[in-house]
Amino acid sequence: MTVHTITVNVNGEDEIVEVPAHWTLLQMLRYRMGLVGTKNGCAGGECGACTVMLNGAPVNSCMVLGVECDGAKIITVEGLSHDGQLDPVQQAIMEAGGVQCGFCTPGVLISARALLDRTSKPTEAEIQEALVGNLCRCTGYVRIIEGIKQAAKLQKP
Amino acid sequence: MSREAHPALPEFDYIKPKSLSEAASFLAEHVGEARPLSGGTDIFVRMRDGVFREKYLVDIKGLDGTDEIAFNPKAGLTIGAAVSMNRVSAYEAVQKHYPLLADASNSVASYQLRNRATVVGNICNASPAGDTIGACLLYSGVLNVHGTDGERQEPLSTFFKGPGQTTLKTGDMATALHLPLPPKGFVGKYLKLNRNNRGDLAIVGVTACAYPNKDVPSGHSVKIALASVAPTPLVVTAVEEFFQKEKLTEVSISEAAQIAMGACKPIDDVRGTARYRKMMVRNLTQQALSAILVKL
Amino acid sequence: MAMTDANKLPSPVGESKPRLDVLEKVTGAAIYTDDIQFGPGLLHARIKRSPHPHALIKGIDTSKAEQLPGVKVVVTGDDFPKRIGLYLVDKHIFARERVRFIGEPVAAVAAVTEDIAEKALDLIEVDYEALEAVFDPVYGASKEAPLIHPDLGDYDVPNFIFPQPGTNIANHFKVRRGDVENAWQDCDKIVEAEFYIPHVQHVPIEPHVAVAKFDTDGTVTLWAASQSPFAQRNLIAKSLGISESDMRVIAPFVGGGFGCKAGVTMEALPVAIASKVKGRPVKLLLTREEEFYTNFVRQALVIKLKMGCDAEGNLVALHNTMYWDGGASTEYGVNITRAGGYNSTGPYIFQNVHTDSLCVYTNHPIGGAYRGFGMSELHTGIEQCIDMLAEEIGMDKVEFRLKNCVKDGDIILTGMTMHPTGLSECIKKVAKAIDWGVKAKPSSPNKLRGKGLALMWKAPSMPPNAGSSAAVKFNEDGTITVGVGGQEIGQGTFTAMAQMVAGVMGIPYEWVRVRGPLDTRYSPYEWQTVASRLTWSMGNAVVAAATDARQQLLEVVAEHWEENPDDLDIKSGKIISYSSEREMSVKEVGIYGLPNENFEGWKGGPIVGRGKFMPTYVTNLDFETGQGERAVVHYTTGAQAFEIEIDKDTGKIEVINAASAFDVGKAINPELVKAQIEGGMVQGLSSAIYERMILEEGAMQNPSFVDYRIATSADIPTGHHIDIVEVPQDDGPWGARGIGEHPMVPSAAALANAIYDATGLRLEGPPFSSEKIYLAMLDAGLVD
Repeated sequence: MTVHTITVNVNGEDEIVEVPAHWTLLQMLRYRMGLVGTKNGCAGGECGACTVMLNGAPVNSCMVLGVECDGAKIITVEGLSHDGQLDPVQQAIMEAGGVQCGFCTPGVLISARALLDRTSKPTEAEIQEALVGNLCRCTGYVRIIEGIKQAAKLQKP
Repeated sequence: MSREAHPALPEFDYIKPKSLSEAASFLAEHVGEARPLSGGTDIFVRMRDGVFREKYLVDIKGLDGTDEIAFNPKAGLTIGAAVSMNRVSAYEAVQKHYPLLADASNSVASYQLRNRATVVGNICNASPAGDTIGACLLYSGVLNVHGTDGERQEPLSTFFKGPGQTTLKTGDMATALHLPLPPKGFVGKYLKLNRNNRGDLAIVGVTACAYPNKDVPSGHSVKIALASVAPTPLVVTAVEEFFQKEKLTEVSISEAAQIAMGACKPIDDVRGTARYRKMMVRNLTQQALSAILVKL
Repeated sequence: MAMTDANKLPSPVGESKPRLDVLEKVTGAAIYTDDIQFGPGLLHARIKRSPHPHALIKGIDTSKAEQLPGVKVVVTGDDFPKRIGLYLVDKHIFARERVRFIGEPVAAVAAVTEDIAEKALDLIEVDYEALEAVFDPVYGASKEAPLIHPDLGDYDVPNFIFPQPGTNIANHFKVRRGDVENAWQDCDKIVEAEFYIPHVQHVPIEPHVAVAKFDTDGTVTLWAASQSPFAQRNLIAKSLGISESDMRVIAPFVGGGFGCKAGVTMEALPVAIASKVKGRPVKLLLTREEEFYTNFVRQALVIKLKMGCDAEGNLVALHNTMYWDGGASTEYGVNITRAGGYNSTGPYIFQNVHTDSLCVYTNHPIGGAYRGFGMSELHTGIEQCIDMLAEEIGMDKVEFRLKNCVKDGDIILTGMTMHPTGLSECIKKVAKAIDWGVKAKPSSPNKLRGKGLALMWKAPSMPPNAGSSAAVKFNEDGTITVGVGGQEIGQGTFTAMAQMVAGVMGIPYEWVRVRGPLDTRYSPYEWQTVASRLTWSMGNAVVAAATDARQQLLEVVAEHWEENPDDLDIKSGKIISYSSEREMSVKEVGIYGLPNENFEGWKGGPIVGRGKFMPTYVTNLDFETGQGERAVVHYTTGAQAFEIEIDKDTGKIEVINAASAFDVGKAINPELVKAQIEGGMVQGLSSAIYERMILEEGAMQNPSFVDYRIATSADIPTGHHIDIVEVPQDDGPWGARGIGEHPMVPSAAALANAIYDATGLRLEGPPFSSEKIYLAMLDAGLVD
């Protein structure tokens, strides 16, 4: 087994990590860096529970190798809030009732954050499209979508 | 994705060369043991299933222009092998000159996956269901291949040999896709049948295009490419020949849809039956050509 | 229950309070079982599984696997002789002598990394002799079928389950009421139909995971994604010969259960393995693929119905035969088929009922508890037949239902008297919301449009003595901690319990703490988090505990003030006297007691309120007739309707509009009730349109999200009108009943009825995929 040493900026902190070449970014976050907020749902790039922001773009961390992230900037759910202040997507989805068991939530929040980063006033269809890769079995999506609409209103233009 | 899929990827080493020739050398020195890596979205799935067992993945992202996308008003569009589908569909020149490719690309999987998946990878994976392949075929795409005996061009029209099989040989790397400037007045439509509304593989896919062409009696060329109904992405030349003589009308469209249905060779699998797929080829070809008729 | 008058809701009961658990979930702080860190000593387990649906195990050679560096132990069924099971005890932790389904655990490896454990699996050699297999429950129930459990007669079984030794019938539940044979002649119209409802899987987004560690003194701790820590302790301890108090189960947040994390599925595996490597924690995390077919699935059902009504449209007779595809083990599934049997009329009154509900062993994945517990499958048959009969007799389908649906005081099929229910009101509300009777034009010429409606009823299906208990204690900062054994699986139970305590005790909602993880060492006993029973059952226990704590507070202060406790009350966290108008914060009293005058001694002390609830009135049902005084505790009833369009070119269904109404007795938190209805309806639609385990010769062909499609954000209806009906339950907290399962029960039936309305076609069963609908239209000449 070959282990690589990489530097990566995670949630604003520069880190040096030793990671086996065949480990995914998800495994690296969860089992080498103690960042267990990002979840493992399918290991196949289908459910989105593992979604993180990689250099500003939402990706399935189970479909990216840890070693591919040398020099990269990563944001996970733990990095969404700043100085104790929740990000608008966290606040709004929570208040809209879009969180039940919570397992899909970290991935949903990253996808929502990424959507509002690229489209400040998304339409319902754009929200639905952005969430296609985040499977939820509990909520039926209605309140997640409502929460994102509210977050769009909450955040500063 | 099979019953016996492993929990994690098998052990391999990750190689990050500094140039395409370094990558090519490594691949040549490790024949059968190394594979080029771009987006990884097809490779990782196959590895977890135990189908791909290479000891080395050679990352070609960012080498010698693989992550560049560029448009030249005379020569056309060049998409580097490592350019993600989202980057392709967001590229202004793609939206302006190759909207069919943008539509096809946006129908793939999820936004997250499209940040990693590449158009060139979609082509090289050579699944008959590949969503972007039809558009690239109809745009007369050509792959740039870096092989052990130098560079060569592979027109997509002769690239696909079977499910997952192409003219690529061991040690080859596709480095870019080139799409010439489409003919003036080119209009296209991609219709994809999913089991649920979005994010699925194509159960049937119909890519259609038409453009004015004074070199044929009818005055326009019409082409269709079908996904998921043959061992390879299928360009139905019979439809193209039909429309060399026939103008696009509701009547000729119906006939062409029948021709397309007759030309496809779908199978029964877990995603659908051959019978349903044949009918859907007919119905979606009809819809796609009708949509084009309106646009022409 | 004086403290819970349905007409007097003490704030915050009945309010849509924000959930207690969501802040940690949105910040990523919420801990689920795979998040717990066990340090470098953690061993990883992987399971060697049967590739055959039915085979004898001739021999297992684990020697090569044992020698692989990093492997600490390899176990097989030889190591664990006792069976395990909730109702009919028919399963082994690891297969012994024979395997009965593809995926059955045959051996396991624990190693220092998951990679090594996975590699070691290939080094285990198992010699099988294939046996003839059974893949169809009707065939399985016949004399011709090979026996899958020849020792059925030896299995422990409670007295309300009726296995038939010498057959593959694990349970045969009968209803014989009236005289169906002779009742047909009294029927003006009769319809017959047969439907097939295929296997589906729960698809929790969190795959199953469990970690077990034995200490050298023989006590064991199990951390598990679990709906049922006490039941898991009970079943696993029994099977391994451990005393229950020597086993501790810790259950943090669960990432979706829907029934699949109830009872015992994979949790016994790491416990068994860990017993052979004492001192090391052993983790088993299922892959998504394993999640699909190796644990619990929802049984498939073959349902054959014949029903008749008289000239006025009164239901007269029902003949219902159900063959449930129970799978390789029916330790849990037998009760599903029992519930299917004692509810087999659906929420209707028939004077004559003949039901046979058969739970049949097959060499398919194991059928277990799935949201609805048999009701979705049953109603998919019943509600289509009701539609058919209404059409035959020429009555409007809603009118027919209003006429025949179960009402307060009716004697239902088991002889039980129906309690007050808002079912009729639910039907009317849904019919209104969907604009029943108005046929809207399709939105374009290539669409067909239709509406369909279905009713449902369901009771908590559980042993007659399933109990709840709770404790309420003070913290020094004046907050109150509620100890419960019921699990937060996303439904919001911690929040509802906090509201109840706050309401009973007169303290602010913000002062109440209800948190996991559940821990059998400290949490009060709770039977299981299933059956939509917690709001009602655990709610009663929590109310009792809060009432007890409140009474203790009032008594201490009354003594201190030399007043009558009846003149005291608690409001906004203050104990007040109506007679002297004195007041005191509960903070002062909850832990430290109160000093006597001049500090001549003290009174009071740390207050702990305790409460329990267990229904005392459920009776067994006669084996021959299914009759009994009180089959179940109560029914939640409801109705659901869809308006759909079908695309004539592709067969795709678009759900344009949806309406649901459920009688929950009393909504403790209306937004949480709505959230259950929203999510349940989408899961119902998803299973009705997209989902099917494609099984060929016992092997699942689509064990991944690629080919087992579930609803995404792009698949939800444009609108969903929800009505909450409240006809109080006599022994529920403020009249409350459960709602967790019910919203998905009528969905497939309502959709099937809508498809019929749009196309005139009735299909064999779900999923109502585009392909199935298109080819049916093609074959019927509706399209060409």
